[in-house]
Formats: sequence, C-alpha cells, structure tokens
Amino acid sequence: MWSELRDLREGQDLGTPPRGGEPVALVVDGKPVTVPAGSSVMLAAAAGSCPVPKLCATDTLEAFGSCRVCLVEIQGRKGYPAACTTLVEPGMVVTTQSPRLHELRQGVVELYLSDFPQEDVPGGWSELHETLQQVGVASHPYGQGENHLQAPVDESNPYFLFDPAKCIVCSRCVRACEEIQGTFALTIQGRGFASQVAASQGERFLDSECVSCGACVQACPTQSLVEKSLFVGGYHRAQPPKA
Amino acid sequence: MKNDSVLPRGQGRRRGPEFPPYDTAAVAAILDRWRDQPGNLLPILHGVQQALGFVPPGAVGQIAKAINRSRAEVHGVISFYHDFRTSQPGRAVLKLCQAESCQACGSRELTAHAERTLGCKLGETSPDGAVTLEPVYCLGNCACSPAALLDGELHGRVTPQGLDRLLAQARRRP
Amino acid sequence: MTIKICVPRDAAALSLGADATAAAIAKAARQAGQAIQLVRTSSRGMFWLEPFVEVETATGRVGYGPVTAEDVPGLFAAGLLRGGAHPLAHGVVEAMPFLARQERLTFARAGLTDPLSLADYETHGGLRGLRRALGMAPTAVVEEVVASGLRGRGGAGFPTGIKWRTVASAPAQPKYVVINADEGDSGTYSDRMVMEGDPYVLLEGMAIAGYATGASYGYIYLRSEYPHALAVLNEALATLRARGVYGRNVLGADFAFDAEVRVGAGAYICGEETALLESLEGKRGMVRFKPPLPAIKGLFGQPTVVNNVVSLASVPIILDRGGKHYADYGMGRSRGTLPIQLAGNVKRAGLVEKAFGVTLRQLIEDYGGGTRSGRPVRAVQVGGPLGAYFDQRLLDLPLDYEALAQHKGMVGHGGIVVFDDTVDMAEQARYAMEFCAVESCGKCTPCRIGSTRGRELIEKIVRGKDVARNHRQLLALCDVMENASLCALGGMAPWPVLSALQYFPGDFGLPAKEPAHVV
Repeated sequence: MWSELRDLREGQDLGTPPRGGEPVALVVDGKPVTVPAGSSVMLAAAAGSCPVPKLCATDTLEAFGSCRVCLVEIQGRKGYPAACTTLVEPGMVVTTQSPRLHELRQGVVELYLSDFPQEDVPGGWSELHETLQQVGVASHPYGQGENHLQAPVDESNPYFLFDPAKCIVCSRCVRACEEIQGTFALTIQGRGFASQVAASQGERFLDSECVSCGACVQACPTQSLVEKSLFVGGYHRAQPPKA
Repeated sequence: MKNDSVLPRGQGRRRGPEFPPYDTAAVAAILDRWRDQPGNLLPILHGVQQALGFVPPGAVGQIAKAINRSRAEVHGVISFYHDFRTSQPGRAVLKLCQAESCQACGSRELTAHAERTLGCKLGETSPDGAVTLEPVYCLGNCACSPAALLDGELHGRVTPQGLDRLLAQARRRP
Repeated sequence: MTIKICVPRDAAALSLGADATAAAIAKAARQAGQAIQLVRTSSRGMFWLEPFVEVETATGRVGYGPVTAEDVPGLFAAGLLRGGAHPLAHGVVEAMPFLARQERLTFARAGLTDPLSLADYETHGGLRGLRRALGMAPTAVVEEVVASGLRGRGGAGFPTGIKWRTVASAPAQPKYVVINADEGDSGTYSDRMVMEGDPYVLLEGMAIAGYATGASYGYIYLRSEYPHALAVLNEALATLRARGVYGRNVLGADFAFDAEVRVGAGAYICGEETALLESLEGKRGMVRFKPPLPAIKGLFGQPTVVNNVVSLASVPIILDRGGKHYADYGMGRSRGTLPIQLAGNVKRAGLVEKAFGVTLRQLIEDYGGGTRSGRPVRAVQVGGPLGAYFDQRLLDLPLDYEALAQHKGMVGHGGIVVFDDTVDMAEQARYAMEFCAVESCGKCTPCRIGSTRGRELIEKIVRGKDVARNHRQLLALCDVMENASLCALGGMAPWPVLSALQYFPGDFGLPAKEPAHVV
C-alpha cells in the first residue's frame, strides 16, 4: 500500500502526508478504498481517484483546515467536515460531490476571488486556477469591496518575489518554512481580514531570517510567491480593465 | 535555490532593519523572571509592555533569542493580539466599550462625544498627546453600561458629562 | 459596640464609586465616634443599587443603595447605623424580592463574605466539597459530576462529567486543568463576579477537577479586560498555598495540585477553547481543528480539561450535597441552575440565579423591571454577540438550551441584553458582522473574508443599493459562513444577522412580508 501511495504521489498531490498504519476500508463516492490508518479522507479520496478540490492542503505539509474548500459529506455525521483534517475510519461512507457541496465550495471560492486580482483569473495555470475550474467559479458577486490588491510587491530576493495581492492566506508558505525548512522566517502578521504573510518583522525578504531555500515558493498555490525566472522582462502586475 | 555566494550566512544579515534603541536591561529582567516557564511569550510581552509602555520592535530579537523562537514568530504573536502596542501611547489610555450592552445604553453617542472632544478617532491619540482613545469589546460591566476603562480604572454608567470629567482627569496626567 | 458595615469591592461597584463611599463611611463613623467594622464584600449582584451598603442589625443585614460619598452624611443623620429609614433604604436584604425569588447555588455566598477570607469561605460551606472528594476514589468523583447533569456554562453546554471521564481515562501524563476565564460576551459578567467575589469556590472546583481527572496543575486563562479579577485570584492562590489547600499535599491528602493565572491580550477568539490553548502555549490565538479533542490532546499536546468558570464553581456544591441535589433543579436536559445576567437597557440589571425554565419575559419584566429608559422593550439578544435577537413575540420562551435552540437562539453564557425601541436593528446586524471581522483569527475564509463582505452587504442594503440582490447574497453568504466555518465565531455570526432580518426587516428597508427564511 505504501508503494501504491508513492506511485500515486509521483503524479498527484495526495493532499495530506501519507501515513503508515493498518489498512482501513471505507467507501468514497460509492467506490471501496483502502488506505493506512491515520490517513485523511482527502488522501483516501485521492487514492480512490475522486480527488476533492483544495487550496490550503498539500501532501508535503500537515493538514491545516483553513480554506474550507475540501468539504465533504460523511454518512452519520452532521455538517460538512473538511476532508483534509478528518481521519478515515473503518466503514466510513464519504460523498465528495453533491449539489450542496458544490454550492458551499462555490461560496467559499467566491469569497477568495473577492480579494484577488480579477485580471489574473482567466488564462492562469497555478493550483488556484485548477481549483477554480474544479469548483466552477470564475467571478464573484461582491463587487468592489475592501481588499489587498494595492499591497506592494517585494522583489528584494534575487530568485523570487512576493505579490501580496495574490495571497490567499492559506499559510502554506509559513508552514513550509516551519515544517520543511525549519527556519520559521515567515509568519502571519495581524489577524482576521488584515492577516498578511510577513517575513520576520514585516521586512523585505532579503533583510529577514529567510535563507532563500525556496520551500515557500514551491508551496504557494497562487503564485503569490513565485520564481522571478518565469517573468522575462520583469514582473508586472496586470492592470485592472478600465471601468 | 540556496546560493551562498549571493547571500552570505551569518547573524548580521538576518538582524533585519535598524530599530530605535530601548531599555534592554528592563527586557532582560522580564525574560529572566519567565525563563523556562512553559508558554511564556504572552507573560513576557505583557511584562515588557507594563515596564516600557509598549513592546519596542527592537526588543523582538532579544525576546526571540531568549525563548529560542524566531523573530517572525514573536512578531506574529505581537501583531495578533490587540493589547500589544509597538509605539508609545498617549499619557493616558481611555478604552470605551463598543459592545452590545453598552450600545443599548448609548455607547455610540458617548464615543462620538469623546472623538469630538479629543479631536481624534477611535484607535488614535489626541493631537496634544494626552489621551489615546481605544475601542474595547466588553469590560464585564454590562449591568452598568456604558462602561469605560481609564488606565485600568473601571467606570460605569458613563454619561457625556462624566466622560468630560474623566478626560479632564486624563489630561492632567504627567 | 462595633457595627458591621459591608461595602462591595466588586469591580462594578468600584466603577460607581464604592471606594469613595467606603471612605466616606469610615470618616463619618470616626466623626460620630462610632466604632465600625467596615468589610469589603463581594456584590449581591443588584447592580442598579451599587454602591450598595449593608448594615448588620439585630434583624439581619439591612441595605441602602445606590449610596454615593455625598449621600453618606445624610444617611448617618437618618440613623444608618441602626438601619434607619431613608429614601435609599431597602430593608432586610434577604427579603428583597429580586433576591428572595432566586435559587442561588453557585452564587450562594454572593454579598455575604469577604472574598479573600478563607475563614468566611469555610464558615459558609467552603472546602466541604473538596474534603469529601478527597475521601472518594477519583472515578467516583467523576460519576458524581455526571449524575448532576451539569452542562458547561460557557456556552457549548457539553456535559461536564463526560468531559472529565474522557480526561480521566486518557493514559498520557501530565494532564492539565484549564479554566476558560475569557468571558468576552457582551452582557455577561457572572464569571467576573465569581472570580472577584468568591475566588475560593473556583479554586476549590479546580482542585476537585484535578483530583478526579489526574491533573496536578491548572491554568486560569483570564482576559486582560478584568484587572480586578486578576488581583483577587493571585491573592487567593497565595492564601491557599500558605494554608496548605494548594501545594504538595492538598488538605493533607496524597494529592498535589497548584495553579497560576495567565492573562490574555485582547482577543475574543481566545474564548474558543482551542484558540485559548494556542494562546497559553505562547502562540497566535488560532483555532485548531477537532478532533483531536483537548480532552485527549490539549495543552502542550496533553490531556486537558477545559472548563468555564461557572461550571467549575458549581462543582464544590455538587460534591458537597451530591449530584442528585443539583440535578433536581431544572427541566428536561437542562439540569441545575443557571446564573442569568441581566444587562443593557434594563432598569434592574443584575444577577439572577434560577433553575432552568424561567421565561425571558419573567426575567426582563419581573426581575428586570423593564427598560432603564422607560421606553418599550424592542429587542433582546440572548447568549452574547453570536446569539439571535428576539422580538417581543418570543419573550415567553423559557431559558433552556433546547427551547432556545429551536429558534436559533442560544443560552450561551446566560447573558441577556435588552434594547428599547430606539434600537436600529440593521445597525446591530452590521455590528454583528463587524465584531466577527474584528475578532476573526483569520484562519478560515468564510469568517476572515465573509465577515467583511457581510458588513459591506448590510451597508449596501441600508443605503438602498440593489436591495433585493444584496439581500439574497447576504442570505447566501450567511449560509456559507454557518456551514463552512472552522469554528463557532464564523459559524454563528450569521445568527444575530438572520434574526434581525427576520424579525425587524423594516429597519433594513426590506418589506415586512419576506419569503420565510427559517432562522
């Protein structure tokens, strides 16, 4: 089972780290799936080829439970648990697709888009764009509201830049710097809507405790943290269409 | 991506920007008092703020080093909690409750009165530097709404006239 | 002959000048050449009468209030020290209707004792519960609490005994007891009253919890907005240690227990138990997903009992008189008593401890006397900032968990905030979203972004902008927040909003007949 998971992992993000444990048999979208105990429902769904849409989960990092996109229905349980933070149990019956889940996921993703540069939605190829396609959302109903679209870009590091306008505060960068790199150079500064990724005390990346390992860039699902080499001629924020 | 020739290692590079000087001995004393206590960061920050009036950005490195955490982590904690300030407040701090029970008894009007009298908005310091006016969400004095906290002194059933007396008191602080 | 005079030191009394009143009484007594014993007691919880002065007479304690320093000379002239008649006189305190009709179990000592006198505490039944518990097996102590039917008084209403059972049977060591003293809901002050007025009952309950579950250390996470409670708790802890009630051998038994107070830093979300634990660990107060439950993996990853102040303060009497005695109060699944806090625009704001079953109307009108302003009651919010707003029609609901839940209301912490007819319910709804936005930890999207969008939508509706569409979007947003949020802050912020829309649509400029959105 371990090797099967490893093979899957080559081509696919399982969502949460694979565990080794006794096999647990459950049903996902009508299909029997067996995964090691300690695995998340998200991993089971991925293993069963019914992957659940996600944003804050990735299999190199411990589950966080913040984006609320990966909601599923579990027979016998109230509400809509997050697949990434719910552990499999023997005999569990999981539904990953339903009109209700569709409605809730769309609602969550619309909130994300209400604070994201609209011009960057069409034609993009980040993980976020993949999720937008899976959930079926390309716009939001909130009009012009409070947002972070004017926050300045940090281009201090020679290899990567940070554009806060595209940040969805999934904390994957902070978690990568903690769990993968062990440097703890990043944090979320402030709280609530004002939450912002910050290097050390809100400094330029180059001045901070960052050791330039790139784990955060690899982890970022929206290309808010992104390699400079992708932008021939420099990074330019897309201008919003004239009103 | 790591390239030592471009980014030399060493503490110097990672000290961050220059911060204004502050009383390192006072901070050291607080760090000593809380040494080895589990979960000591909040008590340390409270201690520093009590001693110095605020948590100097320069102290973040000293604190981080003493408790073996990063500057980022300490900064993240300071910035999360509304109690912690990173610059000197006015000579007095007046907190006016904005929550439901006080709303039911006129806190909105009281707040507007305070803003007009002090010449600043909630969250700001009066132009003469005397009073910092802050919102607070419940002081537990809901049977005596509207309530206010002036430098740790609790006041209940505060009227605009009563507020004027408090503000006069606050302005007299050295 | 020394006459005993009591003036409360409760923060609410202080906020109305009790220290000046006490000083004036001491001065007047000196000038009159009369020896008095001035005791700073806890408050009876009749806050509309604070500063409330009580004089010990042959017929019992006689009360006067509200007494300001300026009133003192006149009172002395009228024979205060003999319980003489005066416009501010209220007669024998225990006979006052507000108090006489209550059922005070947890607040039995309110107003009677000097909060920091251990002797007073023991005279009034203190430490009997702990002594009895120490003579029982820990599992028997747990079962006594289970039998009482005590449900967490913080708001979630989870059976306390069941929580203790889980911690008691968890094998890992060490274990902790954590008291959630982050009483941040507007309209609530019962925790504050216990901590300032009867700290030993809380500390006794904490020790019993430790004994029953196998924990030897406790933390009281106290909000920073309660400086008086902090001072009292620290002094109470010092006294307990000095007298051998806390320490290596609690009351001489083979059981070690100690505790300390840790202060919060201005974050309502740290009243949510997992965010509280993060804060105790010195981190940002971010909500953790559950499971794992704190009972199994809590503070520093260890089994932890997290209980509310009033819940733990109810434990000593359960151990003293038995679980069944407590369970005999109440109705249905809501056993025991609830300390209800009347707040806001109410004439007689104060603490009412009753068995479950009393109605909102009885509380607001019979005990509370209607509004302070004299204007009609228009709206009532029960259970704190995440509770529904009720209009007049719902005031005959009994205050119990199930009855209120049926109307998307909640008992919560037992606070009731009364609004008169000058209230703008659209503004209250806007505030509900604003408060959620101010206090959101920021971890999950529905709360972090949804609360700001919710506030913006309500502002647009009130401005008359695209009303029907924005109203529909607000309902859809509330649905997402309710069902997709990580914790109850985002999950329940829609409740006050939806109730305001349902019961007070006119305040939003919405037509009175709306398609029924079942709140």
